[in-house]
Amino acid sequence: MTLTVDEFAASVGHYQREGVDAVQRGHIRHIDNLSRRLPNDWSGMGSRSNGQDDFASLRYQLAYAAIALALAHRYRLPAAPGVFKGTFDRLIQKMILPEVWMYWRNTSTGQAVFNAHIPMESEWDPVRRDNIMYSAYVQVMTLLFAYLFDDDRYSVPGSISFRHWAFSWGGEEKRFDYDQNSLNELIYWKMVESGYVGVACEPNCVFQICNQLPLLGFRLHDFLSGGQRAAEVERGYRKAWDDFGRLDTEGRYNLLLLEDSQQMLTNDATEVWGDAWAGTVLNMLNRDLVREHYPEQIRRLLVDGPDGTLSIRPLTSTPLLGHDLFEDHGDFGWAAAWAAEVGDTSTRDRLLRFADARLAPTWVDGGLFYPRSDDSTDEDGYHRLVDPLTGNSLLALARLDVPDGLWGLYHLPREPHSATAPAVVEVDRSIDVARAFVDDEGDLQTTIGTAAAKPAASARIGRLPAEGRWSLERDGLVVARGRSERADSSDPDVAYVGGELIVTPRSPEERYVLHVD
Amino acid sequence: MSTDDTITFTLDDHLGRPTAQSSFPGRRSLVFFGFTHCRTVCPRALDRLDRALDLLGEDAAAFQPLYVTVDPDRDDPERMRWFLRDRPRFLGLSGTPRQLEDTRRAFRAFAKRKDDPQDPDGYAVPHTALTYVLDDAGRLLTHLADAMTADEVATALRGVLRDDPATDSIPSDDGCCSAGDGPCDCCGGE
Repeated sequence: MTLTVDEFAASVGHYQREGVDAVQRGHIRHIDNLSRRLPNDWSGMGSRSNGQDDFASLRYQLAYAAIALALAHRYRLPAAPGVFKGTFDRLIQKMILPEVWMYWRNTSTGQAVFNAHIPMESEWDPVRRDNIMYSAYVQVMTLLFAYLFDDDRYSVPGSISFRHWAFSWGGEEKRFDYDQNSLNELIYWKMVESGYVGVACEPNCVFQICNQLPLLGFRLHDFLSGGQRAAEVERGYRKAWDDFGRLDTEGRYNLLLLEDSQQMLTNDATEVWGDAWAGTVLNMLNRDLVREHYPEQIRRLLVDGPDGTLSIRPLTSTPLLGHDLFEDHGDFGWAAAWAAEVGDTSTRDRLLRFADARLAPTWVDGGLFYPRSDDSTDEDGYHRLVDPLTGNSLLALARLDVPDGLWGLYHLPREPHSATAPAVVEVDRSIDVARAFVDDEGDLQTTIGTAAAKPAASARIGRLPAEGRWSLERDGLVVARGRSERADSSDPDVAYVGGELIVTPRSPEERYVLHVD
Repeated sequence: MSTDDTITFTLDDHLGRPTAQSSFPGRRSLVFFGFTHCRTVCPRALDRLDRALDLLGEDAAAFQPLYVTVDPDRDDPERMRWFLRDRPRFLGLSGTPRQLEDTRRAFRAFAKRKDDPQDPDGYAVPHTALTYVLDDAGRLLTHLADAMTADEVATALRGVLRDDPATDSIPSDDGCCSAGDGPCDCCGGE
């Protein structure tokens, strides 16, 4: 059974009250740890292909890590922008680094396996022509930033700037300036020009999967700026793909359309990612279709693991044109994310239990991830391969999503009060936030903590009411009171500074309630 | 494409007269792409535009609807004139395949010939169903989606008039620049 928009909106309260557990916080913290790496320190993020050429490359890891954070913030910790905003922005800044997009200078020349007949000019600008496999994610990430955090920094002209200059080659700086609106506009018109079937990834290859993401971008832009672009494009996109065929004769999602021959290519029956990735993001647009085909599709792709767990069939290399084609696709991660998005919680949990038992979950600096493994199978013959998209981003997404979470992002505008209600607006790095939401009475409920061994760290509670009285409770005791711009607190771990409350927790979990009269 | 972009084109209207974005001084062009053998999208869209302009009353004269073919093999001026015989507001524009391709590209409009067994000639030309609103300098003021109702189109066009009031030439009762008459000499048109 699927929920209506209103029913879904009402159901979100359950996840807010639940908050995030230690494992979910571990995923959030790992993504934060990745975001804080120094520029071009991509350790733990390398995939098997050369030159960002596979489906686990940096752009996908960064984008789906950001989407995982968006889901967590939107549904589980809505009143804790301070947990997510800085991380999200750092992911965007990494996304526009040359190492992430410079593959386009090569990939734009064409001559891929399917397209040996179409050599093209090399293109530096990573969004102007084709390459929706990158441009759509920049579009979605920057618009999500504005949507989630009510911050328009990426609407400033030139705020999305793709720049490259090298001392040793290439001549003058290459620089291409955009912003969330101009990028959205550019992609929109490319969709129009295509008859809404979509924009190519590699030249001539219009993937069904990648062209669903810009629709989320259009919808977010509509939420932010008005308009009906998403509805218009979705209508055309549905019709175009219904005409060409969404599914092959085996009931699997078609992979891509070759622009010149209008030939549809199906996905490889031995791999998981095609159906799982398409099904995850297509659920955003067409839940009925996804749910109709999901049971049979996923049944073919999963195998029983030990102790009641589920896994995927071990992956092998694909011989192609005399080469063994080893590429990372995020197969395991997409299976878990797909189950999470369609609300098949049992399958998701069994997959995650397999991951926890067999895929070496690793905690570093408070963050949880599953390190890369190139082994196809383990000693018992079970799937063992972990690509960095799965290990860094997709298992996080699977744990942080809620049933129909992407669908909800596409359909639900932000609540009007989300940018003004009291919230945890800033946290020190070692602070954990397990709950943060505004309840039906308008009170902020939050659980904040820190590991005892850590030095004092604090969180900032802001957006206090400009008028009227408020009080702050910690574990049931009032620790501060205030009215308008005045406040009193005798508690040494609570300070009122600049209209905000700074709380310094001394234990792993302290429950705070900000009552607003 | 953005509202700062300028779109230029040169085609022939259904009376054989050269027509460009600048041919209707002081008025805005409503540009819709299509083909006269279109069974569904074009008739519906042209009806909707007609009704929307009816709803505008006198303000309708501030707009010149243009119907640009994406099917140069079948749609010549004579065919366009016949097709639009009951739609006096509209001018049908056609041209060489190259001219029409350039025009379509300038508007970022999609059109692709495909087999259609239901068509007597065996093909159709699916196309973008947006309506583009240009000023007489070719500046894209806005564009209207196919899903809009006539009421919504009328509201949007009123918004265009409010945001971008007419400049010099106001259509007059004597036929100068009036709908369906096409480019004229009396107000500086081509």
